[in-house]
This record gives sequence, C-alpha cells and structure tokens, in this order.
Amino acid sequence: MATLKPPSATHRSASGSSTPTGPPKAPVKADPSATIADQVVFQGTHPVTIGANTIIHPRARFYAYEGPITIGEGCIISEKTVIGATPSSPSSPSTSTNTHTRLSYFVTIGPQSTIKPGVHIHSSTTVEALVTINQHADIGSHTKICSGCEIPERGRVSEWTVVWGSGIGQRRRRTREAKMPGSAVLVAAQVAQATAPEPAPAGKVIEDARLMVLQKEREILGRMLVPSGPKKK
Amino acid sequence: MSRPFPYTYVSCPCANTPVPDPAKKRRSRDSPQKPTPERTDPDDKDNKKQPENTPEEEVDEEEEEQTFDPRSPRSNFSLYPPEQLLYCEDCHQIKCPRCITEEIVSWYCPNCLFETPSSMVKGDANRCGRNCFNCPVCTSPLSVSTIENVAGKGNGQGPWVLSCAYCLWTTLDIGIKFDKPTNIRNQLQKMTDSTSAPTFDTRSRQGSRAFSDLKSPLSNLASFDEPVSTPTGSGEQVKENETDSPPLGVEARFAALKNFYRNQISETSTSPNDPLGSDLGFSSPGALNRLMSLYASSSRLGGLYGGNKKQKSKPPVMREAINASEGLRIAPENADAAIIERLSSPDCGWDGVASLSQRAEQSPDVRFVDDLLPLPVLLRTKRAKRCKSCKHILVKPETKPQSTRFRIRLIALSYIPLPSLRPLALPTSSLIPAPAPDLNALPPLRPVHVLLTLKNHMFDPVRITLATPSVTPGRVASKVTILSPQFDIGPNSDVWDEALQGASAPVTTDPRAGGLRAAEKVPEAGKVWDKGRNWTTVVLEVIPGTLPGSEADAGKEGIDEDEIAVAAQQDEDVLEIPVFVHMEWDAEAQLEQQNVGKASKPDDLVARELAYWMVLGVGRITAAL
Repeated sequence: MATLKPPSATHRSASGSSTPTGPPKAPVKADPSATIADQVVFQGTHPVTIGANTIIHPRARFYAYEGPITIGEGCIISEKTVIGATPSSPSSPSTSTNTHTRLSYFVTIGPQSTIKPGVHIHSSTTVEALVTINQHADIGSHTKICSGCEIPERGRVSEWTVVWGSGIGQRRRRTREAKMPGSAVLVAAQVAQATAPEPAPAGKVIEDARLMVLQKEREILGRMLVPSGPKKK
Repeated sequence: MSRPFPYTYVSCPCANTPVPDPAKKRRSRDSPQKPTPERTDPDDKDNKKQPENTPEEEVDEEEEEQTFDPRSPRSNFSLYPPEQLLYCEDCHQIKCPRCITEEIVSWYCPNCLFETPSSMVKGDANRCGRNCFNCPVCTSPLSVSTIENVAGKGNGQGPWVLSCAYCLWTTLDIGIKFDKPTNIRNQLQKMTDSTSAPTFDTRSRQGSRAFSDLKSPLSNLASFDEPVSTPTGSGEQVKENETDSPPLGVEARFAALKNFYRNQISETSTSPNDPLGSDLGFSSPGALNRLMSLYASSSRLGGLYGGNKKQKSKPPVMREAINASEGLRIAPENADAAIIERLSSPDCGWDGVASLSQRAEQSPDVRFVDDLLPLPVLLRTKRAKRCKSCKHILVKPETKPQSTRFRIRLIALSYIPLPSLRPLALPTSSLIPAPAPDLNALPPLRPVHVLLTLKNHMFDPVRITLATPSVTPGRVASKVTILSPQFDIGPNSDVWDEALQGASAPVTTDPRAGGLRAAEKVPEAGKVWDKGRNWTTVVLEVIPGTLPGSEADAGKEGIDEDEIAVAAQQDEDVLEIPVFVHMEWDAEAQLEQQNVGKASKPDDLVARELAYWMVLGVGRITAAL
C-alpha cells in the first residue's frame, strides 16, 4: 500500500503541495512547540492543525480527505493511531457537512486507536489503546475510553464518564462535582468516628491529580526532547 | 475435541477399571501384571489376546479385550492430552485428574503473595486481610494512593483512598477515606460495620449491613434475602417505630440467629436418655435420638408397644425467632416502592444500577452502583495431589507462594513416550515433494501416510509394541496399518554421550542427510521410518473410509445430504485411530522390589511394562472423492 510509505522529511512545512506521484499531502499547520515524529503520515486535501505542546508519536496517520483535522494543545497521540479515514473507505459519506475532526486540549490517544472523521473529543479525555471511535461521535470532557472499546457512529458520551468493558462497553459515571457520598458509608463513618463528615469530597481531586501528573510528565518529556529533539523551526 | 489436527490423546486406564473396591484391589495385587492386557501379536491385526484361564478375571479380561472406542461416551472422560497426566510410581499406572485427590498446601493472596494461615482463612473468610482489594465495578486491583499530595502540601500523609486504574473508580465515589495506608481492611470494616456502637440512628443499619457479608458465604445463605436497601426508604422509619431495639448488622444478626437456634436445639433436645445431646448439634446422634423419641411418643402405636407413660408427655417444640434481639428482621412495607422510585429517577438510570456480576460479589441487598464496596482479594491455594488408590503423593508444590518450584512432581510424560503426529508428504514426482495433505479435508479411499513419533523421556531404553484395530470403530470405517508395530526407543541419556559416541559410529540423525533421504524414502513394512537418540518414528498407513451417504459410498445411489450433515454434526467424519501401546523396559529395582528383581535379573534390574490406549486424531474426512 502506498500509504505505508513514510513521507519525506519535509512534511512539517506548511506548504501542502502534493507530490505528483504519491497521495496528496495534507497542509499541516503545526505550532512550533509541538513535537511531531518523522514517520507521521499526513495525507488528504484538508488542512491539519496541531496545537502547542502536542506530541505525536511515530507512525501515527492523519487522513484529512473528508474534512480538516484540528488537534488542540497538549495532546498526546500515540503510535499507529489513525485519525480520519482513507478515501477508499466506503462508509464515509462525502456529502456530510460537518466532517471536522476535532481534538480539544489535553487529549491522550493510546496506541493503535482509530478515530474516524467528524469525531469531536473534548478536553482532558483519555482514549486508551485499540479504541475505535466511529464517525461523528462526541466524547465529553474528562472521559476515559478504556482499551478495546468501540464508540458507535454518532454516539454521544457525556462528560465525566468511563466507558469500559468489551465491545460497546459499559458506562460508568465518575463522581460529579458535589455528589453526596453513598449514604450507607456516610452514616457508618458518622457512627464510627463520631464526627460530622465534611462536605463530600468530589472525585475531581483524583482527576486533578491525574492532570497534574500528566502535565509534569509532559514537561519532563519536553526537557528530555529539546536537547536531542527533532529539528525545530 | 477442540485441538487442531493432528492431535494425540492418551486414555487413562481408570475409565476401564470400575469403582475400586477392596476385593478387586487385592486381586490385582496378587497378579501385578494383570491390569495390563496381554500383548498383541504384531502381525495379527485382529488385536486378539489369549484367553485368560482364571475364571474370576474373565469379566475384566473381556472388558479389556474390547477395542478402545474414542467415540463412546465414556471415553470422553478418560482421554487427556498427554501433558495433563500424572504417573503413580507405586501403582505403576497413569493417573488422570479423575483418579487423584487434592489437598490444600497453603493459602495465599495472589496480589501480595502473602501466605495466610488456615486458621485465619477459617476466621476471616478466604480473602486477603491486608491491603489488597478489587474494584467492585470492574474487578481490577485497586491501589492505595493519597489525595493530599495533589495539593502538594504533605508528603505521604493525609487521607488515603483506594483507586482503580482501569475504570477510575475510587473510594471517594462512596465517600470513604482512610487515615492510614496500612491495614485498610480493618479500617473499612470499622467504617462499614457499626453493630457494636449503640445507635438508634435510622440509617445505621445501612452501613452495617454490607461488609461483613463478604466474609463468609454461609452468612449469606443463612440470612434472608433482605429486600431493604434504600437509604431514603421511608419504610425504615416505620420499622424503627415498631421495634425498639437497635437494628443489627448482618453479621450480628447472623450471630444472634445462630445463637438463638443453638439454644433452641439444646433446649428441645434435652432428654434423660442422652445427656450429651445438648451440646452436640443436629449432626450428632443426639439429634437422631430426639427425632426418634418424638415419633415414639407422639404416635399412638407407642402405647400399643408398651411405651412408658413418661415419654408420652408433650415433646418440646422449637420456635422461630420473634424479635430483633434474636435476629429477626422484618422487611419494611414500602421498600420495594422506594427502590423502584430510585431506579426510575434520572439520577440513577441504567448506569447507576449494579450489574448481576457486581451484585454477585456483594451483600445480597446491594442494588445500586453507589452501594458497592471494595472487595478484598480472594485467596488462592497451592495443592498437593495424591493417588486415589495408594495415597502416594504425585505432586507437591513448595509451600511458599513466591516459589514456583515443586518438591515432587510425577508427570506422566517422564514415564510414557510423548506421541506426536504429522502427515507425511510422499514424493510424487522425482524432485518436487508433494505438499502435505490437508488434514481438515481428507479425501476418502485414498491412502494417507502419517508419521507417529514416540519420544522417550526415561533413562532406560524402551521396547514398544503398537497395536490398532485394522478398521477404526464407528460408522466411518477407515483402514489403518502400522507398518512397523514393534520397535525400540533409545534412552534419554546425556546429549553429550551421544555426541561423543557419534564420532565412532555414523549418526543416523544428521538433519541434512535425513532430509535428503526423507525425500527419497518410501514407507516400507517392517521398518521404522526414522530413529534418533531417544525417539523413533514409524509410519501409519491410513485409508480413510467413506462417509455414509456420500458419493464415494458405493452401496447407495445419489448423495444423501442429510446424512452427511448428520455425520458431520456428530463428528463422525473425524478420523480418530485408537492405538494400543505396550511398553517394556528394565528399570532399576527399588528397595522393596529388590527380591523380585534378583529372581529375574542379576544386576538389580526389574522388568517393567505399561500398557495404555491412545487416540490419534488424524483429520477430517470429506464427503467428496
């Protein structure tokens, strides 16, 4: 397959001129602070925008045939992930109006996942390995799609949700803002400790911790990458 | 038979021997050679054996004379892949999982590899008593983490939570935080079990009900399936008004009920006849006595047979628990309505209801995801295996959970040769070897050659005699011929010995030479195909039979599709060859057998033999020619 051929090293230039022989090269507009591996494939006719501090691992593939692709800031896109669809795929209706594929900030995509065109992934979402998100699905923020799960076409996943299990998967809501704790435990705690329980702690604490760790990781990685990093503009 | 072709199974002889009764055992001890059937004449393909003279063994002999049928329903239970079998050195017999007993060597937690003494297992249920928990939502292990570091304030201090790395469930979801990162199970128990605290809080039972139920499945069985679980249930208020005593937790209730019934039994079973009856339970002879006296005194016949007057007094009657202190719990009136209301509320929905698999692990009245509690990890066991008939230990693992070694492990493959099967591609033209036949579609009536390799793992050379029925049992009769049914296998000696000897003698197992020769070689009757240090390969010639109703079936006109379908459904098209293996070798005599050995052999060698059936799954026969 021609698409497996690694593109020339000049793909980061925003020219987007398609080579006469190969498939059309998508015009890439990347922030200078983004780290994009050499073996990333950009194909298609629509522009691909990549935000600041985003890291794209080798052999990720972007197919912007049906619409533009926008990657927000601070995203991590792991290797062998496919975003968009090749033009040969029959299931993609080219007449659809909104095939803008959007990833908001702090989105993490695991290796070998597939994100079809028109998907909108909101901020701070984690998509694990081998996940398939079908056309026009909408993934809310602070959501986790566990590995191997599949989101159906035009599926909506609300925010603070965990999709887990196998196949379509089970849904589970993470603790929302000010949820009362399970009354069973609350009362028991009251009895045992004889102290009035403070207002329920939100599960947000955990999420905050996760994001902080992610941020720190990113900073350290950035520091490691800079000395021997790929050619920067 | 889910294995891919070709496969080999070894039949455990326990299927042929009926229930081991002592009489039979004695008999077989008298004649140790008996369990192994008579060796077959290799040239006589009828698999006939000399009739036995002793009349009392005729029945057994008849049974063993029958050809092993891999299709008979019984053989389902005796056929095992050779790797799964054990060998008893005392009985000199193959042992399958059905003819061994298991005993638990140690209990350990698979998560922290900490061994739990069996007394603790009895007391604390078979769950890890330390910090190992599984996620109640997705069953993956939970980790202990602090939530205080997030703010960057303290290091290693502050409240701790259990969190799941997979589905991101935390104990914060149910409002639990721990003060210390150690001994979490005790902390959790204290939080969720408030039975000891004298409380009149309406909802305290909610908290107390759950955790202790995890401890023992018995308590679940003993307690009623309580329908109440709604924290907002107004029904509890009603109940609270009715009963003045505090509601008990599940564990306390179980204890109360147990205590109550024990008292009832002891009160009602006291009779002058057996003073011991009181402190023995229902499983004691006292219980029987009590029942007998009940019948004897209450029946009118007792008077006829001269029962004395004293026993006619009314027998004491057991009663049931009637108040909460005795463990009674009354279901509140509108608990069901409250549950339904909560189910239909938008806050809960489908995602808020605990699934069946989640509920199976929890206390019986958990209905919603918010009520799930972390589950302490179930313990695992290491087990020793014993021979059922002689109690000899066959497998004994190291007690330590960290160790994967075995002190004793008598697997059958170190005693019986490992059979392996592969098809032989006969050269059709001079140079190009024909492709190996497709085992999933064997054409009928066309001969196929199969190579059967037997690999010896013993340190003694073995003489093997193979026998097979000339026609396979079942509706599809395939003809089978073993070209050289009698051969030797070399010992599993040191590899270096052979290499050093190889300098003098020409080695027959040069891979290149063998490969070259294999291309030219033609299977010949009476000759082994190939031979190595501790293995020998022989050729089986198989002519697959015709499926009933297929076009190759000459006796019928036309193809009966239905019949083919039926045949395929019952796996009759699978070509399985029963092969009887008889092996003989000279083993070093063990201490108790030295006398026997001296009688026959001069240098402490004793002749051994072992015989068993194995089944070779060659392939599947197609209907078309």
